[in-house]
Parts: sequence; C-alpha cells; structure tokens
Amino acid sequence: MTLIKHKKLSRDDWQYLKEGGELRASNNIVNLDYWRGNNAVLVSEHSPCGILIHGDENPESFVADLDKLSLIAIDMPSFADGRAYSLAKVLRDTYGFTKEIRAMGDILPDQALYLTRVGFDALEFANETSATLAIEKLSDFSVFYQPQLSSQA
Amino acid sequence: MYLYNEIDQTLLNERVAQFRDQTKRFLSGDLTEDQFRPLRLMNGLYIQTHAPMLRVNIPYGLLSSKQLRMFAHIADKYDKNYGHFTTRQNIQYNWPKLEQVPDILADLATVQMHAIQSSGNCIRNITCDPLAGVCADEIEDPRPYCEIIRQWATLHPEFSYLPRKFKFAVSGSPKDRAATQVHDIGLNMKKDAQGNIGFEVLVGGGLGRTPVIGQVIASFISEKDILSYSEAILRTYNLFGRRDNKYKARIKILVRETGLEKFKAQVETEWQTIKGGSLKLTAEAIQRVKTHFSPLHYQAAPRDNDHAKHLANDSSFKAWVKQNTVEHKHSAYKVVFVSLKSPTRPPGDMTDRQMHDLADLSDDYSFGQLRTTHDQNLALTDVLESDLYALWQGLKRAGLATPNIGTITDMICCPGLDFCSLANASSIDIAHEITNRFADKAVDTGDISLKMSGCMNGCGHHSIGEIGVLGVDKKGEQWYQLTLGGSDSHYSKLGERLGKAIAKDSVVDAIDDIVDVYKENRTRGERFSHTLQRIGLQPFKDKVYDAH
Repeated sequence: MTLIKHKKLSRDDWQYLKEGGELRASNNIVNLDYWRGNNAVLVSEHSPCGILIHGDENPESFVADLDKLSLIAIDMPSFADGRAYSLAKVLRDTYGFTKEIRAMGDILPDQALYLTRVGFDALEFANETSATLAIEKLSDFSVFYQPQLSSQA
Repeated sequence: MYLYNEIDQTLLNERVAQFRDQTKRFLSGDLTEDQFRPLRLMNGLYIQTHAPMLRVNIPYGLLSSKQLRMFAHIADKYDKNYGHFTTRQNIQYNWPKLEQVPDILADLATVQMHAIQSSGNCIRNITCDPLAGVCADEIEDPRPYCEIIRQWATLHPEFSYLPRKFKFAVSGSPKDRAATQVHDIGLNMKKDAQGNIGFEVLVGGGLGRTPVIGQVIASFISEKDILSYSEAILRTYNLFGRRDNKYKARIKILVRETGLEKFKAQVETEWQTIKGGSLKLTAEAIQRVKTHFSPLHYQAAPRDNDHAKHLANDSSFKAWVKQNTVEHKHSAYKVVFVSLKSPTRPPGDMTDRQMHDLADLSDDYSFGQLRTTHDQNLALTDVLESDLYALWQGLKRAGLATPNIGTITDMICCPGLDFCSLANASSIDIAHEITNRFADKAVDTGDISLKMSGCMNGCGHHSIGEIGVLGVDKKGEQWYQLTLGGSDSHYSKLGERLGKAIAKDSVVDAIDDIVDVYKENRTRGERFSHTLQRIGLQPFKDKVYDAH
C-alpha cells in the first residue's frame, strides 16, 4: 500500500488490526464491531485510535464516538460506488470531524481529486505507480464551480 | 446567450486535457475497459454497434450560429457529414474514432461546447423550455437558473458516481414544454404571494423501463435555496439509492420504495443542515449570472408589411406559417420551428450543409441564435414577421421547411437497432415508412404526437406519446407494442396498451387504422387525446386487431 497525504507520498503511521491480530500500543485501525466492544480500552490505553467502516455505513451508527477517533478509514467496495463521497462530506460538514478521513479499497488515481474535494485527506493506493499518478491527477483542475468544504475554507 | 468567463473556459480546457490523458492511457493499456468505461461515459462517449457514439451537450437548448457551424465542422471532419439531435438537447455523432475524440472535444471547447456529463451515472445536461425568454406566458426566464444549476452540477465531486443517471429539467411557464414531470428533478418556476421567485420541485419522474410521473416534493423553494435543496435531494439519493440492480437504481425507485413522505422528510432533515451554508445564493450571485446573458435588442415594428401579401399569394408559405410558427412575446416577432423530420432523413438528423445554411439564416434573421426542442427539432425564436417569407425561402432551399410541426410525421424517434447496442427493434425505417404514408395527409390529420422507441429503455419517449410505439424482440423477430393516450404537455400521462404486439410489416397499417378511427370520430377541432378520452380504447382496438 502507498499512502498519499497533502499531495505527497507519505509514511503510514497506522496499522489495520487483523482478525485475531495483536493490538499495537497506538495507531490501530479497528473495525466497527471491535470498536464497539473495546473502545474504552482503546481510548485509555492505545490512543490515538481509528476505525474502518464500509462506504455504505450509516454515520448515525458511530458519530457519537467521533471525538474519541483520530482516523476514519472508509473502504470502497467498488470505484463506481459513490456513497463514500457523501459519507465523507457529511462527516466533515455536518458532524465537523476534523481528523483524518482515509479512502481505501477500490479507488482509481483519476478519482483522487474528487475524493479530496469531499473531505478525504488520505488516500491509499495499491502501489507507488498508482499513487504517483494520483498526485499528478490532483492538479487536473485549477478551477471549480462548487464551494470548498467549510472545513477547508 | 450565456457568455463564458475565464473560469468557465479554463475548466473546459482542463477537462479536455484530462480526457486526452485518460484516452491515451486506455489506448496504451494502462486503463482497463472497466476502468475507462465510467470515465469515458462521463464525457459522453459510448461504444455502440458500429463505432463509438459521442453525445455533446447543448446546455438548456441554447445554441449560437458559431456553435452550429462547429457542429457542422465536426460532422464533416470526424464523422459522416451529419449529426443527430436528441430529445434532451444534445447532439450525437455516430461515427467518431475513439482516438480522435480528444481532438473533437478540443474543437468544441473553442466555442464553449462540451460533452461533460452527457452520459454516465452523474448529473446530465440541464434541459429547459425551448421557448424560454420569448413566450408570452412566462413567469420568469429559466435560463439563468439553468446555468446556475449547470455550474453547480459540473464536475460535482460528490455526485459523479451516483447509483444511476440523474436528469434535471426546468420550466419558466405554466405550460410545460420541458417535460419536467418525467425528469429525476423537475423544476417549475413560480412566484409566491410577495412576488419572490422560486420553484415547485418535482422528484422521481422518468421514462425508461418503469415510466413514472414525478411527484411534488416541495411546493415552493426560494431561488436562493435551489442549490442547497437540490444538493439535499442528490445526497439523500446518493446515500440511499439502490446499487444492487441497475434497473432499480433511479431515484424514482428510491422514492417509491421509501414513500414520498419519508423521502421528503429525509431530504428536509439534510436540507436544514446545509440550507444556510455556502450554497445559499445571494441576490448578487443570481444577478451576476443573469448579466452574463447578452440581451437581444428587439425592433418595435416590422420593416415592411408584405407579410399579408405573401400569405395571400403563396399557399405553401401560408401552410408553413400556420404549422411551423407560433406567437412571440413581442408582437412584431414570431417563433419559427425548423423541422428535422423531412421525408429524406431520419428524425432529428441534420447534415453539415444544412447546419451551415441554418447558421447563416439565424445570423440573417434571428440574432444568430437557435434552440433545440425536446421534439428533436430546432427553433429560430426571434424572427421579425416581415422576415418570415425570406427565411422560409432560405429554409426551403436547405430542405428545412417541412410544414409538419406537431403532426404525426413530426415524430420522436430513437436511433434504434441501426445504431444502438441496447435496441431490440429498428425505429428509423418505421419512421421513414410513417413519413411516406402520411406525407400528404399529415396536416389534414391534425396534431398528433407519435413517439417511438426501439427498446423499453424508452429514449424515444413512447410512453408519453399520444401514439406510442415500442420495439420488442420476440424470438429474434422485431415486434411493436402500441400505446395510446400518453401526454407530455403540462399534465404528463402514460399511454395505455392497445393490445398485443404487432408484427413489423403491419405497424404502419395499424397506425393508419388508429388515425382513421380518430378522423371518423373526432368533432371539429378535437385533438386525438380528447377523442380517445371520449370514445375509449375499444374502437381503436377493434379496428386494429380485426384488420390484422
């Protein structure tokens, strides 16, 4: 995996907790079920922590915990499924989430710009070639008709 | 016309460069067909039966003579010397080469035209009343609002991967000429008791496999809130619309399955969170767009009064004026419809030569501007009555003066099996036969809307035709299902099935029979749909199925 943040290739300080895997001291990304069962321990002993959700997740199911989270990773089931774009936008603008929102799963370099425009600030690509192309594609447009995200303005 | 500013032009140029790169990467194998598909579709490029098909937008149907000449240039340089005007204010080219499409788009961009979002699961071209700004019954000119919505929808980062395509239509008149009731969102302009401008918002209309008439979701949304309210609808649709079955992915299905009241409540909740935000339009922002539309300078009166003389002396001219022109809000002017339904070409098609001729005529007689209509015709909307005779002669020379607007030969027709990879049956050859059969009696037959689609996707709007013809495939043979009584004017209505499908070689006879029943039963001046309503479907059934 290659991570892009702030239009640059970036080191990834986070790790997904695998099924039956060991928690690290901090910077674990856990799925929603694990989070629900263990969030007290995660917050008190493994901060900062993040969750992994699916693109079709209803934000109502986790927004109560937003202030305990330092990262939300959204898994794209297919690059043609645009639900996560609205999800990220709602997390930023409606719920005021300011920490990292990361896109992972099936995303194309050509989608990098739109993803960042709706509030994703970290993008995971399969390899460095895709990630480098995605950085190029972030500059495809210098003008936009839509307003900036309120959190980015 | 809306005059592009530097931002508009920059965005267009950057879009061309982006697509050039995507095409290059596809041709070199860096993008797979699956990955390229949504990218090319979002730029109007289909892979069709014979070749790619490129669909170019004519935003809200407004076109300059210069842009029409560019369409001619593209037809000549990259295609087979013609273009096809669609029901949604687009033009389609059926024979471009994939590797040349970036060049076509670059040429189009020099006249502020593009194919952005003319296809794909995103917000499509915003369509509008072709008589916007010139009809006497207008509440407000909808075109600046169409442009505001166009800009908001263009390359919208959040709404480019929707469950399915999404279409807006906007009307500024009480009489709907934009088919707002059969769009995903239909906007009807209105004023409240204080004279404030706003919109009645319809949602969930559409044709295709499951034709549905749109329902009112909000009876009045102020002009300043129209983007935030639209965004709330789109967001609700993007989050909750079905993605498991593409035939159930349109917003009409979501509205039906959720129920209008609940859907409305979801939209309302979302809207309340964004209503006061950055999408709220200020009076200045609206005015800024309005001032980008160059005003026309109308003359007070005709230059001479030979019009009455020409009408008296030339019966062909008189017939054309009666059939192909309507009143303008300024009494010295007329709106002229240019029929693209001649016996010599498929409905909606126009040659590059005709485009050049018509561009010249629009420069001479109609401020160098044109409109496209949802009946696949063009219109010169601002012609001095005293110029009509000269214009008519020019149109006749160009083969564009067929006096059949609104008649049975002025039919809507999709490309059908001849071009489209979705079609089950052909429509162009049936259209040709109908034109031949009715050429001499169309005007006498009266105004009848005939609409024909080559498959149930319904691009030819068959379900809202007074006579609807739908091509179906039966064990590899082409059959046609007829419906009667549909309507697209003001109160849209879906047609009723006449009976079992009819074999291809009997379709035109069946239509002829239907017209005969109408003519035998109509009272003086009665429209087809009224006669049908009065006498019912049975007499038509009897005649058609007894005969065949």
